[in-house]
Amino acid sequence: MLPNERFPKLPYALLALGVLCLLAGSYLGLFVAPPEHFMGQVQRIMYVHVPTAWNDMLAFTFAFFSAVIFLFKSDFKWDARMEAAIEVGILFAFLLCCQGAIWAKPTWGVWWDWDPRLTTTAVLLFAFAGILALRRFVDDPVKRGVWSAVATIIAYVDVPIVYFSVRWWNSLHQVQSSPSTVSSQFYLPLRLNAFGVLFLMTAFIMLRARIASRRLASELVPPPADLAGELA
Amino acid sequence: MTGGYITGGWGFVWAAYGWTALVLTVYAVSLFVRLRKVR
Amino acid sequence: MITALRKEFLLQWRTRAQAVAVFVFGATALLLFSFAIGPNAAALRQHAAGFLWLGLLLSSTLTLSETFHAEMENRALEGLLLLPVSPRALYYGKAVANALQLILLGIALVPVMVVLYDAGTTRIPMLLVVIALGAAGISAPGTLYSAMTSQARAKQTLLPLLLFPLIVPVLLASVKATSLIILGDPMGQAQAWISLLLAFNGIYWSLCGLLFDRVVED
Repeated sequence: MLPNERFPKLPYALLALGVLCLLAGSYLGLFVAPPEHFMGQVQRIMYVHVPTAWNDMLAFTFAFFSAVIFLFKSDFKWDARMEAAIEVGILFAFLLCCQGAIWAKPTWGVWWDWDPRLTTTAVLLFAFAGILALRRFVDDPVKRGVWSAVATIIAYVDVPIVYFSVRWWNSLHQVQSSPSTVSSQFYLPLRLNAFGVLFLMTAFIMLRARIASRRLASELVPPPADLAGELA
Repeated sequence: MTGGYITGGWGFVWAAYGWTALVLTVYAVSLFVRLRKVR
Repeated sequence: MITALRKEFLLQWRTRAQAVAVFVFGATALLLFSFAIGPNAAALRQHAAGFLWLGLLLSSTLTLSETFHAEMENRALEGLLLLPVSPRALYYGKAVANALQLILLGIALVPVMVVLYDAGTTRIPMLLVVIALGAAGISAPGTLYSAMTSQARAKQTLLPLLLFPLIVPVLLASVKATSLIILGDPMGQAQAWISLLLAFNGIYWSLCGLLFDRVVED
C-alpha cells in the first residue's frame, strides 16, 4: 500500500463534516449573532478570519514537525506530508491576507494597515512559497526533500522573530486593535467554524500528501524493464 | 479602537465569506483533479 | 576551521575585482533610489537608512551567489568534503568570509549615503556595530541557501526568493537602528534593535551551522 493512503475514505468524510460545520457556523455568524458594538456588521468577518488564522499556524506547525521527522527518519511519507502542509498553509495565508484586507478597508480606510499578525502572515506566505519554488527546481528527490525540510525549519523558527520585530516596528506608529479580536460573547459560530476549517485543512493535507506520495513513488522506482532491451 | 459605529459593511462581509468559500472550493477541486491525474 | 577561513580569504583576494563591481552595483542602487524619491532633501534624509540597507541587501545576492562558485566550477564541493575539513567548518568559513565582505561593502556605501542623502552621523562605532550585525544576519542564512541554490536550477532567482522573506527582521532592525543613529535617538531605542539583531544572529549562526551538513551531504 502506498504511504498516506491508510484510510482511503477518511479525507472525504472530513471534507463533508468540515463543510457542514462551516455552513452551520457561518449561518450563525452571519444571521444569528448580534452586530458588534464598535465594528458593526464588519466584525462578522472574524468568524471566518480567526478560524483560518488558527488553522494556518497549525498547518505550518505540522509542516515544521514533518520536516524534522523527515530529517531524522528519511521516510518520504513525511516529505509528502510536509509538502502538503506547506501548500495548504500558503493557501490559508493567502486567504488571511485577503480577509484581513477586506476587514481593514471599512475599518481603517486602507487595504493594509501593517498589523503585526497579518504582516507576519504575508512574510510567511512569501517564505513558504519560496520553499515550494525550491522544490520545483530541484530534480533529485533526496536533495529536494532534505533541502526543503531544512528551509522549512529555518523559516518556521523565523516566525516569532518576524512577529516581534514587526510588532516593535509598528508600535512606534500606531496603536490599534488587531483584527483578531473577537469581543462578542457569542462564541458558538467561532467554534463551529474553527472545527469546520480544521476538518477541511486535515482533509486537504491528507489528499495533497496522497498526491505527493504517488508522484514520489513514480520518481523513486528504478527505470522500467524495457530499457534493458536497449542496453543489450 | 475607533469610537464610532461602522454603518453598513454587509458588502465586505459577503465579500470575505464568498471569496473564502470560492478559494477553498477551487482548491478542493484542484486536489481532485490532480489526484485523478496522478492515479 | 582556520584553514577554511584562510582559504576563503585567499579566494576573495584573488577575485577582488568582483568586490569592486559589487560596490559599484550597490552605489548605483543608492543612486536609483534617490531618483525614485526625487530631489527632496528632507525625504531622502528621512529614508536614507532604508536605502542603504536595501542597497546592501540587493548587493548581497551578488556576493552570496558566488560563494560556492569555485566549488561548483571544479566540482570541488564533493572533493572538499573528502578532506578533513568538516562541513560545519566549511560553512562557518564561508559564512564569516561573506559577512566580512558585506561589512566592507556596507562601510564603503556609507560615504555614498552621506553624500547622496545628506545623512551623516558622528556615532561611527555604533553604526559599525549595526552594519556588522546586519551583514552577519544576512550572511548566515544566505550562505546556507547559497549552498543549496548553486546546485539547483534557476539559482539566480531562488536565492533572493528564499532569503528575502527570512531576513525581514534583520532588515527592520538594521534600518530602524541606522535611522535612529542618523536622525537622532532621544529615547535610546537603538539598543533594543541591536539586541534583536544579536538574537537573530545567535539563533541563525547556530541553526544554519547545525543544518549545513545535511545540505551538502550526498
